[in-house]
Amino acid sequence: MIIVVGAGPAGLAAAKSAASKGCHVTVIDSQARGGGQYWRHQTEVYGYKSNRSADYLNELQQNKLITHITGAQVWSAEKLGDGYQLNYLQGGVEKKISAQKIILTTGAYDRTLPFPGWTTSGVMTPGGAQSLLKGHGVVAGKTIVVSGTGPFLLPVATALATNGARVEIIEAQSPLRWALSPLALLLNPGKFPELIHYASAILRLKIKVSFGSAVTGYNDGEVDISKVRSNLSIRKKNVRSAPADVVATGWGFLPDVTLGGILGCAQTLDRDETVIFAVDREQRANVQNIWIAGEATGIGGADLALVEGAIAGLSAAGSKISVALIWKRFTKRLFARALQRSYPVGAGWQEWLADETVICRCEEVSCQEIIESVQELGAEDARTSKLFTRAGMGLCQGRVCSRNVSDIVAGTTKCAVSRNERLAASNRPIAAPISLGVLGDGIAG
Amino acid sequence: MSNDISFFFNGEKFTGTKGQSIAAALIANGQRELRRTRFGEEPRSIFCGIGICFDCVVTIDGVANQRACLIEISSDMKVESSL
Amino acid sequence: MKSPDAIVIGAGIVGASCALSLTNAGLNVLIIDRGSVSSGTTGAGEGNILVSDKEPGPELTLALRSRDLWFEMQEDVGDYFELEAKGGVVVARHDDSALLNLAYHQREHGVDARVVGQAELHNLEPYLHPEFHSGVFYPQDAQCQPMLAAAHLIRTVISRGGQFVSQAKVTEVLVKDSQVYGIQTSKGKFLAPVVVNATGTWAGEIARMAGSDLPIAPRRGFILVTEPAPQYIFHKVYDSDYVVNVASSDADLQTSTVVEGTRSGTILIGASRERVGFDGSKNIEILRKLAAQATSLFPVLRDVQLLRAYHGFRPYAPDHLPVVGEDAQVKGLWHSAGHEGAGIGLAPGSAALITDEILGRPSFMDASAFSPARFAMAKV
Ligand SMILES: Cc1cc2nc3c(=O)[nH]c(=O)nc-3n(C[C@H](O)[C@H](O)[C@H](O)COP(=O)(O)OP(=O)(O)OC[C@H]3O[C@@H](n4cnc5c(N)ncnc54)[C@H](O)[C@@H]3O)c2cc1C
Ligand SMILES: Cc1cc2nc3c(=O)[nH]c(=O)nc-3n(C[C@H](O)[C@H](O)[C@H](O)COP(=O)(O)OP(=O)(O)OC[C@H]3O[C@@H](n4cnc5c(N)ncnc54)[C@H](O)[C@@H]3O)c2cc1C
Ligand code: FES
Repeated sequence: MIIVVGAGPAGLAAAKSAASKGCHVTVIDSQARGGGQYWRHQTEVYGYKSNRSADYLNELQQNKLITHITGAQVWSAEKLGDGYQLNYLQGGVEKKISAQKIILTTGAYDRTLPFPGWTTSGVMTPGGAQSLLKGHGVVAGKTIVVSGTGPFLLPVATALATNGARVEIIEAQSPLRWALSPLALLLNPGKFPELIHYASAILRLKIKVSFGSAVTGYNDGEVDISKVRSNLSIRKKNVRSAPADVVATGWGFLPDVTLGGILGCAQTLDRDETVIFAVDREQRANVQNIWIAGEATGIGGADLALVEGAIAGLSAAGSKISVALIWKRFTKRLFARALQRSYPVGAGWQEWLADETVICRCEEVSCQEIIESVQELGAEDARTSKLFTRAGMGLCQGRVCSRNVSDIVAGTTKCAVSRNERLAASNRPIAAPISLGVLGDGIAG
Repeated sequence: MSNDISFFFNGEKFTGTKGQSIAAALIANGQRELRRTRFGEEPRSIFCGIGICFDCVVTIDGVANQRACLIEISSDMKVESSL
Repeated sequence: MKSPDAIVIGAGIVGASCALSLTNAGLNVLIIDRGSVSSGTTGAGEGNILVSDKEPGPELTLALRSRDLWFEMQEDVGDYFELEAKGGVVVARHDDSALLNLAYHQREHGVDARVVGQAELHNLEPYLHPEFHSGVFYPQDAQCQPMLAAAHLIRTVISRGGQFVSQAKVTEVLVKDSQVYGIQTSKGKFLAPVVVNATGTWAGEIARMAGSDLPIAPRRGFILVTEPAPQYIFHKVYDSDYVVNVASSDADLQTSTVVEGTRSGTILIGASRERVGFDGSKNIEILRKLAAQATSLFPVLRDVQLLRAYHGFRPYAPDHLPVVGEDAQVKGLWHSAGHEGAGIGLAPGSAALITDEILGRPSFMDASAFSPARFAMAKV
């Protein structure tokens, strides 16, 4: 048997391809429904459709070789004999499952940057607004500013507008940056109809779009909009304000690397210094019998996740990978690289902060406290700053703030963040909270 | 069969649809604030919406720090803002 | 850069205390660390300053003095490191005779150890499991935030004319005619007639660089950290088995739980002890044992969520006593290391001993039990 962790595009593609070779597959996911972050349809939601999701979700339900365990959060994993045991929580009960081969497709979550007012109720991630809508049929607000950078702002903004919200898009980068990646565009012609689709939707829905701008403050139902350079430093502060009861702000995605980290899979830094897993040509991690696919090996969207998942599934089933599939992955990765080039997230955002701006939302640690931990107490990296200030020690375990804390510490010491610091920051021994009672009851023997 | 489910938030009765998370049902009812922070007593709502950030934590039937964006409403569930 | 009177290698709690004590004695001190402040075991320590877990003997004498010196240090440096005389409560699970006997002997040596019966015990810790019917209350047990403490001690040293060079790995200890005269680091050479080796778990490496030898090895320890919870625990509470474990040299895993609440609301549960070298891999079974023991002390913790677990490597010597004193072979090389699971508690006391010895003045106790020479003697 093969266990796939994650029922997003990558996980579903892996399950489908492994099952097509006759393998038994168990897909385990924390959500109540399959589909991962992207294909989470409770209600029919507006968006560009390629009708792929239905195939995969049907396969998940109907293929007798595939078992789907839902609502199951894997909190830890360990090596057991020549296989692996995953410990998961389902409805408050701990269960264990083991297999010789594991495919990890744990996906990603929105990356966020702080600004004065970002802890106010009403500020959320675009992914959050999207999941409210797709998963729960709730439009986050009436007047919504969608801000940050990246193509993900488009489906979110258009879906919200179609459902009746008044929407404005504030994109930090200029679309002209795409001129930096002609080859990627040429090799991915399928992206053009998608682009035209969103462009016409924006016109039809009268969504106002600004480029080279960012939301640098939110207060009393109004966002402050500043002109920013491509590294996100301020070109002109507070050029205008706009009303908003919801601000959906996101700066690309951060892969969820927790589980693979627990299993000892080697991580590396992507070009934009995001922590990802290092995998070989067949999506194998450096740890035996573990494959990793999708956002966790580098942010590239659902298209790339599907191809990587298919490769991982075939490889785990012991099948040969066709050259066509490898070529497809190559073109999608090229596109993913173009995305990084077109929507970079520089360190200039630190100029937006006020002394009292909260950086660690859980422990309510301010920018000033982090800077003082460096200047007064001698912290030289995020780990030490965290020991002094508690930034990153809260419930989310630094998933939201640790990268930003590293950048602020580096901005204060004027030294670049080291590779080791970036890698260490993603090291979490527990993938999800577990009650001490349940944990203790699980003692072997 | 009706898909409506009622539950309590800080003692007040709210109604949502089956399958909705606590956070979604409350936001749909215009109740954005889910809790106050421990130190600054600042209001917080959902942030990531997918169980990563823990900004939305509430006490559900006496168990603290549960993520309102993940947990679906159920009949007569008692949700509280504070510890 | 003015050439210092003494170099302290290691910016953990032991090195920081030593640097402050030498500075206050009038020396110009240079602190060197290969990382930043608190980047070693101090960054993993829990901050317990215990007298309750020490049997009568030199370590208890050191612990008692050291505990008072913590409060003197706070007067000197400022109230920046959450120092608090919180008090410890030790409970016996089955047979309480060993615990009561220990308390009796500790009292003879100046420890405030108060035997408490059922009612008083549950008054001190209302959430404790009802099966516990007796225990000992130790009002002197205290705690601090060790990383903040090290940082503020070093900040004070700098404000009094000392220096701190971080990210400088010591690669050589410079010795001529059995007398130390400086160190070579990745950031250059530094000269001084006195070098204090306060590198904790790594102290053996520094000793070897000087052509000497110190048998210090790592002992892994885990700590569980929970979500912020209401105040369920009012003191440091531990099972009397802990005292037995502390003195053990069994390589197998032992767990015995110390449970305490912190100011931020999280609950810390420690500490397992095992000798596994520098293996950093997690072992879920250890986490389970710690959780089971903690919930058996405090059933209310069953519903509290574990957020994270971390481990560190305690530096220990074969006889489980710290190594404090001049090297047996190299003059001018002083060691203050090997404090195992008590380095935070024992840091200022060890600093006072080293300072007194370096300056050749009488000290508060006879430190020969801690002498590095004891290992050389054992070999012969
Ligand atoms: C909130 C959100 C909304 C998005 N919406 C869109 C969109 O509308 N359009 C678009 O093009 N892209 C969207 N994306 C981008 C998305 O990352 C990719 O398009 C695509 O979903 C990636 O597929 P994946 O299989 O790699 O990961 P995902 O789809 O993220 O799937 C990973 C799955 O693994 C599960 N998982 C992770 N860890 C564990 C664990 N320890 N135990 C159990 N289960 C676990 C997760 O719950 C999740 O279901 C969204 C991303 C996010 C975060
Ligand atoms: C889980 C756990 C819980 C604990 N709880 C407690 C407790 O509650 N109370 C208590 O009293 N003790 C506790 N301890 C023990 C305590 O943490 C240690 O005894 C103490 O921190 C040791 O301090 P130190 O300064 O000697 O060592 P360290 O803090 O390790 O400092 C040594 C320094 O030397 C530096 N260094 C090493 N080699 C070199 C080199 N070649 N060049 C330059 N620099 C170098 C390192 O970078 C490091 O910063 C605990 C330990 C663990 C692991
Ligand atoms: S909103 Fe982030 S965890 Fe619920």
